[in-house]
Amino acid sequence: MTLSITSAAGEDYILISLEGDVDTKTAPELLAALTAHDLASAKQLRLDIKGVNFMSSAGLRALVFSKQKMSHDATVYVIGANQEIADVITKTGLSMAVTMVASADAI
Amino acid sequence: MLINDRIDSLPTDEVAGYKIRAGKPLPFGVSHVPNGLNFSIYTSCGTSCTLVLFEKGQPEPFAEIPFPENYRIGDVYSMVVFDLDFEVLEYGYRIDGPYNPEQGNRFDNQKILMDPYARQISGRDIWATEPDWNNIYPYRARVSFDDFDWEGDKPLEIAPNDLIIYETHVRAFTQSPSAKSSFPGTYAGLVDKIPYLKELGINCIELMPIFEFDEFENSRIHEDTGERLYNFWGYSTLGFFAPKAAFASSGKFGMQVDEFKQLVKSFHAAGIEVMLDVVFNHTSEGNENGPTLSFKGLDNKTYYMLTPEGYYFNFSGTGNTLNCNNPIVRSLVVDCLRYWVAEYHIDGFRFDLASILGRDPYGAPLSNPPLLESLAFDPILSSCKLIAEAWDAGGLYQVGSFPAFGRWGEWNGKYRDCARQFLKGDANKVGQIAQRIQGSPDLYQHSGRSPATSINFITCHDGFTLADLVSFNEKHNEANGEGNRDGGNDNDSWNCGAEGWTEDVGIQSLRRKQMMNALSILFTSRGIPMLLMGDEFGRSQNGNNNAYCIDSSLSWVNWDLLESNKKLYEVVKTLIEIRHQHPALRVNEFEGNGAHSVGLPSCSFHGQQAWSPDWSAESRQIAWMMTTDQTGEANRADIVYVVANMAHYASWFNLPESPNGYRWKFNINTGDENQPVSPPNSFLNEGGILVGDRSVVIFTADPIR
Repeated sequence: MTLSITSAAGEDYILISLEGDVDTKTAPELLAALTAHDLASAKQLRLDIKGVNFMSSAGLRALVFSKQKMSHDATVYVIGANQEIADVITKTGLSMAVTMVASADAI
Repeated sequence: MLINDRIDSLPTDEVAGYKIRAGKPLPFGVSHVPNGLNFSIYTSCGTSCTLVLFEKGQPEPFAEIPFPENYRIGDVYSMVVFDLDFEVLEYGYRIDGPYNPEQGNRFDNQKILMDPYARQISGRDIWATEPDWNNIYPYRARVSFDDFDWEGDKPLEIAPNDLIIYETHVRAFTQSPSAKSSFPGTYAGLVDKIPYLKELGINCIELMPIFEFDEFENSRIHEDTGERLYNFWGYSTLGFFAPKAAFASSGKFGMQVDEFKQLVKSFHAAGIEVMLDVVFNHTSEGNENGPTLSFKGLDNKTYYMLTPEGYYFNFSGTGNTLNCNNPIVRSLVVDCLRYWVAEYHIDGFRFDLASILGRDPYGAPLSNPPLLESLAFDPILSSCKLIAEAWDAGGLYQVGSFPAFGRWGEWNGKYRDCARQFLKGDANKVGQIAQRIQGSPDLYQHSGRSPATSINFITCHDGFTLADLVSFNEKHNEANGEGNRDGGNDNDSWNCGAEGWTEDVGIQSLRRKQMMNALSILFTSRGIPMLLMGDEFGRSQNGNNNAYCIDSSLSWVNWDLLESNKKLYEVVKTLIEIRHQHPALRVNEFEGNGAHSVGLPSCSFHGQQAWSPDWSAESRQIAWMMTTDQTGEANRADIVYVVANMAHYASWFNLPESPNGYRWKFNINTGDENQPVSPPNSFLNEGGILVGDRSVVIFTADPIR
């Protein structure tokens, strides 16, 4: 399963949309896509993962990693995580780094 | 990349197609270095060592990299391997060396051995999922990240004498459907119960083993019931540095390290310490007939106590005995505990069969065991609690004499025994119970130790639950499949008139009262009280006093009882509240000043007449007064007066006159079936009280405003 990544820069946010599985093979691509942006000056990062079925620990760590690269008052939104991914994010304490929302309308 | 631009971030050799360089011997285990992983492993008698690498879950390794001889320093092989995908890596070792059991060596290079320092272990990721029994490497070392964001958390360092410990088993606590947990039987499920535990009032949770173990060890099918029996309790360690994966809801993702850290962080945020029950006395490799998983193939005679013929000493009752006072093993134990304190913020440890930790390599008890001393004076462990189960299966019983170095607390088995005997009305018990209630000065005062040395308990995982203690005279362990031969026979229990379940309302009511009595005594004793999970609402195991192998509703906490035994729960909650509110109960010295302001001693005993305890054999009536002066804002005397009538008839007790400006307030009266928790502002208007048969009444001195 491959991962397709599309990036877009909104007026005040960076949007990254993922389709496919984020596993140990594809997590580096996600990380590369994230670090291609100037995270340090971004105020908001939106990760649309509605199209993601599986996210490995490397993928989850990429989220936290990008949050650490951003300024303290910046926010990382994870949009449309499926139940399993949402559970892992919550139960392993990664939820302190990201805000989970069902859709971009909720932001 | 500039950040990685170090000289040692580049390989120097290539073996089997892998880029490597000589590693650093310390720390042992695996550590992250620029562009690679540093592997370090110890063997004193092995002659060569090979690193074996698997991709997660694959039956065969993808690489075997022999350590070049120049990568060995002393007895330690270390190597950096570059460009490994550590997220899906599983690793082990093959060690060459002699096989001569009579001289203690059992090397076998056909076996792939687990790193004793493995911080994460795969193979039993999902509870009770039948494994592939032909796996050439069943329990596999993995690499953990150890990059959790603690957000400023640290161990809580609650004063020992202020602790109220709650003993729990991760799976048993929330596995039952009645727990209504979205993550049953897991660390996450336990976190969901924090609001409940907070309301109950405990401030320390003690977890039965969470170091990785194999629930299938000695697993079997019960001949009569057809039920599968497991190693449910987990007192058989596979890896001392790894949290049990199958207790994590995220275990199948290999996220157990983060989930367990999140548990500790969440408990700390609620003001509750996390204590671990740790098993260093033996490992899961059994005796000469057991499997070779790690230590046995790495350096058998270093890690295990062996007879002169090369067999395994069995002081643990489980096949082998870890050679704890060997300097190598001692370092392993110290490294392990430091890791759990530094990396997981653990607040304390309870050591299973701790007396073994004080034996020399031939099993003789040491008077100054170096391991216990190292732990007592370790800088990283200096503020964490160390508690010994001060006996072992080899007959060493050290309650009161465990080598404490001023630091170690003890599970006070004598408290348990005496409280149970007193509770069921045995003769000749008032004298001893008075010692126990004060924090057991007869055991601890002469060596300069304090009441908080004593972990007071009436029930623990090992033995009857409280409800069973008052419902069964005999153990009923048929479910364990050993013909009721397993489990202790000295239970000091009393069924109150019928064995097991009964419709007799009189017996039911007496049992409820006895449970309240037991906990009333426990929570008004000096020392550290420990409550077994579910005892606050009458959890039963149907008379099974050794449910170590049962993974069913028999061993799981039945949360429906919380509703049906609400009164008991309310009493326990109130008892804990009383303990928190009254420092007199938590005084941590045997020769305290007491309530100097009103001229009362720190602890005094009384009988049916105030100031006049009846110590005779047939006496079953005793009262105790605990006092201290509160300074600061409260600035008044704190006084608790407890009356215990364990006779089968009601008895009149005169109370001491309350000090000037105070009056006796009722808090608990277990003899009042309808209202055991006294309504607010009920005061004693007479000079005494008729205490019901087998009942406890708790008074506090309330200032008259």
